[in-house]
Amino acid sequence: MLSGSPGPRSTRAILLLLLCPLLAAGAASSADLNEAWLAIANSHPKDALRKLDESDPARAVQLARAVALMAQQSATDDNVRAAEKIFVELATGNDEPADEAAYLQARLYQLHYVQPDYAKAAELYQALAQRHPRSHWAQLGLVKLALLKLYVVPDTTAAGSDRLAPAEALLAQISDPLLQRDLNLQIGQAGVALKQPLARFLPHLVAADRVGGITATAREDLIVQIGVLSMRAGDWAQAKKYFERYLVEFPNNVRAYDVKLNLDDAIRHLAKRAGS
Amino acid sequence: MSVKRHRRRIGVVVLGLAYALAVWWVFTRSTPLIQQRPVTIRFAHWQIERGPPDGIAAAIKRYEELNPRVHVEQLLIPGATVYPQWMRSNLAGGTGPDLMEWGSWLAGQRDIPARYFTPLTAELAKPNPYNKGTSQEGIPWEKTFHDNLLVPRRDSPEPGQIYAVTISEATVRLFCNIKLLQQCTGSTAAPTSFDDLRKIIARIEDYARRTRQPIHALAGSGDNGLWIAESLFSAPLMGVSRSIDDKGYLYTYNRDVLAAYLEGRWSYGSPAVSAGLRLVREVTGAMKPGFLQLHRDDAMLEFFRGEAVFIYTGTWDATSLRRMAPFTVVPMRLPNVLPSDPEVGRYIIGIGGEGQGETSVAMYLNRYSEHKAEALDFLKFLTSVPGNQLFTDASLWLPSVNGVKLPEEIKDFRNYQLGHSFGQAPYDIIGSEVNGEWKRHFYQLVGEQGSVKQFATALDEVMPVAIRTDLQNEMRNTLLLVKPQDALIVANAEMATATPTDGHYRERQLEMEAGQTMSEGLALQMKLVLDTTTIGKR
Repeated sequence: MLSGSPGPRSTRAILLLLLCPLLAAGAASSADLNEAWLAIANSHPKDALRKLDESDPARAVQLARAVALMAQQSATDDNVRAAEKIFVELATGNDEPADEAAYLQARLYQLHYVQPDYAKAAELYQALAQRHPRSHWAQLGLVKLALLKLYVVPDTTAAGSDRLAPAEALLAQISDPLLQRDLNLQIGQAGVALKQPLARFLPHLVAADRVGGITATAREDLIVQIGVLSMRAGDWAQAKKYFERYLVEFPNNVRAYDVKLNLDDAIRHLAKRAGS
Repeated sequence: MSVKRHRRRIGVVVLGLAYALAVWWVFTRSTPLIQQRPVTIRFAHWQIERGPPDGIAAAIKRYEELNPRVHVEQLLIPGATVYPQWMRSNLAGGTGPDLMEWGSWLAGQRDIPARYFTPLTAELAKPNPYNKGTSQEGIPWEKTFHDNLLVPRRDSPEPGQIYAVTISEATVRLFCNIKLLQQCTGSTAAPTSFDDLRKIIARIEDYARRTRQPIHALAGSGDNGLWIAESLFSAPLMGVSRSIDDKGYLYTYNRDVLAAYLEGRWSYGSPAVSAGLRLVREVTGAMKPGFLQLHRDDAMLEFFRGEAVFIYTGTWDATSLRRMAPFTVVPMRLPNVLPSDPEVGRYIIGIGGEGQGETSVAMYLNRYSEHKAEALDFLKFLTSVPGNQLFTDASLWLPSVNGVKLPEEIKDFRNYQLGHSFGQAPYDIIGSEVNGEWKRHFYQLVGEQGSVKQFATALDEVMPVAIRTDLQNEMRNTLLLVKPQDALIVANAEMATATPTDGHYRERQLEMEAGQTMSEGLALQMKLVLDTTTIGKR
């Protein structure tokens, strides 16, 4: 009866047949999830929500749902709150979705709620970095936290009136070279905006440039900027190097005329220094 | 005889077969005999002057020969008043064309790229496949443009991204009815400085008075008046822009100029800015009274009638001028205001430059296009050496791409003035609100009732609020792009994990992370200025 009898064989077959749709559904669920992410990546969050089963408890599905909710147009605090509820639940885990959720929860407070709460966002970035300091999302969060500390929630207890020091402290915690580059660039730009001494922020701009990969106008601006600021700091050799590079990379730009004049100036100063 | 009958029989059989084939086709197929193409992409622009529609049509014809699957439809939408509304309503309604022209100066449309267009940066880093066998083969697409896409880079909503490619190049010129110039002044020599032009204008006015002819030095309209005003106004502003260039860019973006006004570092009453207004007043005085109420077509007619010696317009009108004027038209450069100028020279830091030309007619890819790949492919063809050559030859507009041969008629347009160039825009078009106030009060500058002092005072009363609003809008537009990127970044990261062999998603994720941080930094810098200044606060 247990082995070789036709009864159990047919039962197994029936069971298999019954399982097939379930297996197919499982496979489709993963395909649906990818389609949902693709829809979000293509700025169609409503399509993503249609593809996702609200009652599916899988963490990856819930993350996609929350992301689609926060991306909906028009953005309302109700949608953001619904997304946050899911992020909070997911963030208690110990996996990649947990870090993504914790990061995105901080973003909601910084950008997505109609009334931003920068202090709360800063607190959440900090907490994520303490929990999983090596996670990409924690590291990206540190870049955002540094921006907040530079402009909107200055850390007045750290290093007196030095507005760049708190961001530099966070920079030291970042190991991803691309994120280091992005934060170096931001510290450099903040140095200008916050009227800090040149010597404090120019090295950050040079460090950002060394990593490379900065594109479009940002690249062109940075090359001229390092040249001009180096000149203002009296570092004529560095100024010359960057002006020459600009003229090789952007010979037809409207700025090329002034860059050429500045290069001539730098060469004159270097020659004078060599002569004396 | 039998051969003749045989031929006739063959003819009847062939005719019968053709008829049968036609009947079969009509009853079994719903499509025309010539197969309809499965993909149609729509390409919208406002360049309805003589030239560009022909140039684009020529490129489309060749592209469709090369790509039998794709049909490209050219949509010509009149610019000044219709295009902005048409663009916004179609984009908002989800019926926007696949490719469309956009310009940062379109009032109230600054948010469009962030909302509806998609960046082309990654594609621009690769060579354009349609350049195979040309001088541009193997060169990254971005580097094949004559100016490396200066304007799309400058107008990008994200500093790390490029959103458009250009198909032409334009500049502004003083087009001269050379016979009339000779008649009025006894010479055909082009002016070499603004002071020179000043003297020519005086001689033309004298001639018109003496002969009682309705001749003016400059063909007048609100459009042409504003174009020449912008060119001259910029001259003394270069020194002001240089003085506020804290970042060391050797260039000031509109947001920097707006911020500097709120910090009290310049005003319309500042001596250098007022010197620019003085030049504007002077030159618009050479146009007929009431020019502000007229449009560019009216100025063209005035010029064609022989009632104006010069018309100041862009090379976009050159084909129309050449084809329609009943006299010889000679393009000249608007002469520079020099440091030696007797009136405003002390505010001039040197010769103003045009760079090496700025490419224009920037075309953007609709983020929601259903045929992104095909639309992008058409853009690549249109901006390849062969595609852009077809456009140039048929339109007589300058090409945007290196390696395209210039037709004889337009060679002179590439004769650019080298010199200083410090700003994204003269201070009348640094923002929509600013431009609105400028236009509203412009009558206080020109004509017998107008004066520099009156205009500058009026502007400094209304501009604080306008400038603060424009800076707030710049900040909001920057954030418009930053906010949705959070979801896009995570989605691309997830797709990168799900499809590890496809590097595209990881590349896009990292590119967006970098761009988003830069944009956020910019927005926070603008917020800092708005929070720490009081000018224009209500």
